[in-house]
Amino acid sequence: MYFNDLKPLHGRVFVNETWCKGCGFCVQFCPTNVLDTSPEFNAKGYHPPIAKNPENCRDCNYCQLICPEFAIYVERDDGNEKGKV
Amino acid sequence: MTKKRTGVFVCHCGNNIAATVDVKKVAEAMSNEENVVASEDYVYMCSDPGQNAVLQSIKDNKLDSVVISCCSPNLHEKTFRDNAKRAGLNSFTCEIANIREQCAWVHKDKAVATEKAIKISRSAVRRAGRDQALEPIAVPVTRKVLVIGGGIAGIQAALDIANAGLKVILVEKLATIGGHMLQLSETFPTLDCSQCILSPKMVDVSRHENIELMTYSEVQEVNGSVGNFQVKIKQKPSYVDPELCKICDDCAAVCPVVVPNEHDLGLTARRAIHIPFAQAIPASYTLDENACLGLNPVRCGKCKDACDVGAINYDMLPKTVTEEVGAIVVATGYDLYAQEHMNELGGGQIDDVLDGLQFERLCSASGATKGHVLRPSDRTVPKDVVFIQCVGSRDPANHCAYCSKICCMYTAKHASLYKHHVPDGRAYVFYIDIRSGGKGYEEFVQRIMEEDEAIYLRGRVSKLYRKDGKVRVLGTDTLTGQNVEIDADMVVLALAMEPSKGTADIAKTLKIGRDKDGFLAEAHPKLKPVESVTAGIFLAGCAQGPKDIPETVSQASAAAAKVIGLLSQPTLSHAPTVAKVRNSHCTGCEMCVTACPYNAISLENGKALVNEVLCEGCGSCSATCVRSAIEVKNTTGLQIQEMIEACLA
Repeated sequence: MYFNDLKPLHGRVFVNETWCKGCGFCVQFCPTNVLDTSPEFNAKGYHPPIAKNPENCRDCNYCQLICPEFAIYVERDDGNEKGKV
Repeated sequence: MTKKRTGVFVCHCGNNIAATVDVKKVAEAMSNEENVVASEDYVYMCSDPGQNAVLQSIKDNKLDSVVISCCSPNLHEKTFRDNAKRAGLNSFTCEIANIREQCAWVHKDKAVATEKAIKISRSAVRRAGRDQALEPIAVPVTRKVLVIGGGIAGIQAALDIANAGLKVILVEKLATIGGHMLQLSETFPTLDCSQCILSPKMVDVSRHENIELMTYSEVQEVNGSVGNFQVKIKQKPSYVDPELCKICDDCAAVCPVVVPNEHDLGLTARRAIHIPFAQAIPASYTLDENACLGLNPVRCGKCKDACDVGAINYDMLPKTVTEEVGAIVVATGYDLYAQEHMNELGGGQIDDVLDGLQFERLCSASGATKGHVLRPSDRTVPKDVVFIQCVGSRDPANHCAYCSKICCMYTAKHASLYKHHVPDGRAYVFYIDIRSGGKGYEEFVQRIMEEDEAIYLRGRVSKLYRKDGKVRVLGTDTLTGQNVEIDADMVVLALAMEPSKGTADIAKTLKIGRDKDGFLAEAHPKLKPVESVTAGIFLAGCAQGPKDIPETVSQASAAAAKVIGLLSQPTLSHAPTVAKVRNSHCTGCEMCVTACPYNAISLENGKALVNEVLCEGCGSCSATCVRSAIEVKNTTGLQIQEMIEACLA
């Protein structure tokens, strides 16, 4: 797309749904709007986050840092198919 | 009306006035007016014999006031006032009756125009009847200059002024100086490398002891007047300390964000933290706060972690400085007319349809492709390239009415550069006319046509569209009268030049005018091409109108010469026709204080007080004052009333 082949960095968001208490911090503060609140319930009855725009994740790790329940983390996406989003 | 000895001098201005106004009759009518002791006419009153006649008459008839019926006071008021002074009169007892612009030029009927010229002259005689002798106000001068815009025009003006020993503040909106010239590959007609001739000047600017460079900055507010402007400049935070930055690229290597690079017009990408190009001045990275994920060490923060020298500071705040300067040079440059306006030519939606500056970046050795001409869509070498001139220019019905002046030349250059890069390719140029006025310009275009074998087709292109991986160009060759269809690999549009995006705002901030096309207006199209209508503010480069590099440099140097001339005087003289308060009438209602556009009036001990240095004599105060307590000298209420009576008589 660009002559200098510069590509944005990609991250992959992993959510531990069982730990999530649905505070919504990660959804609110993601700078690239990757996350949204899932319509599904977890075992505790909260709505965990879901990656609605996973391609927008820039591996900034902010969600991981602000999650009070350690329920979300990000890994650098180097193109391998591992884990589920 | 007081007893005066007034002389009236009516000018023919060749045929400019005499063709519509019976000048002899005006002079004769004036000789019968009260107070008038001499009335003459002459074919060119501003010429040496004309001025001498006025001089002689002042002496012979012992005149104490003079009325010259001629052109606009904008043009020759100073000429005639200086002449009156030579004869020993006070220059402010010389009045101009404008019978050219406001009479001869706007009328056809000679009898009616003559009658009007008599009335205009008579009212000037009445005004002169109550004119006081005034002495100019001496104003101290600040020997510092503000140059707005860091393109070639601003750079040249700043260097010339700084070399003359004056201090200069050079303000540039972007993170680096250089402007559009730095995006060019080679420059017509000599094909010298743009960067090779501009970069040394940029370095000179950064190292010059008299130049203070403020990049990433904008002028927010300008007050004061010639000799003493107060300017407020806002510097946006770059979030990188240029003193510490080592330009190592460690920060950009880890930045996760990719956005189009403005310097390459979107042909390449850059990170949120970036240096516009390797030779940028100041040599430092800049963090684009709009692209950055959050300017926050916990939100991303990768660049700050990567910077070994600690140059990155997310807490940097905008900085506003206030400076005193004596003069201002405006060199805010141009932008290309947006491709989006050209619907019939794809509206910017077709790949491989580029604008002129993008093609420059393809040809430039430091550009997107390191100097190889390649198609953006598939990176192949284009074999058929169509260049279209006058895109958006010379089209008063739909786009810009004016000629952008440089497109004929740079399109010829583009065709030549392309043929040198791709000798077996074909370059087609659609043109309306070839305008190649300039030293060596015509020879250059002829060489491109004959030696480089560019195919010139006289006609306009009606439509562009994608077809089978190529761009189908539908046009006409008006010389053969045939329609032309070309399946081009690449199309380059020579888009019109328009004033740069912030021109309207800067004109408003500086209180200077713009012309009908939005370019900054010069004070006189021939005799004052670098002065704005506001004293002390000068124009340079494409902000004033489309022009090429040699012309821009000439204008910048001319503006610099004007600034140096202005600021080399020990004091400036300010017109003494300023507002004066009658303390006995003033009730301190402050209406004049709010009405004054120059902030020249304040309230002192419950009465209005005029700062005569700031006052421009516009009369807004006297128009708002309900008690006639404030009046402009030599334009008093009594004078205005008598002038109206003279016109209605």
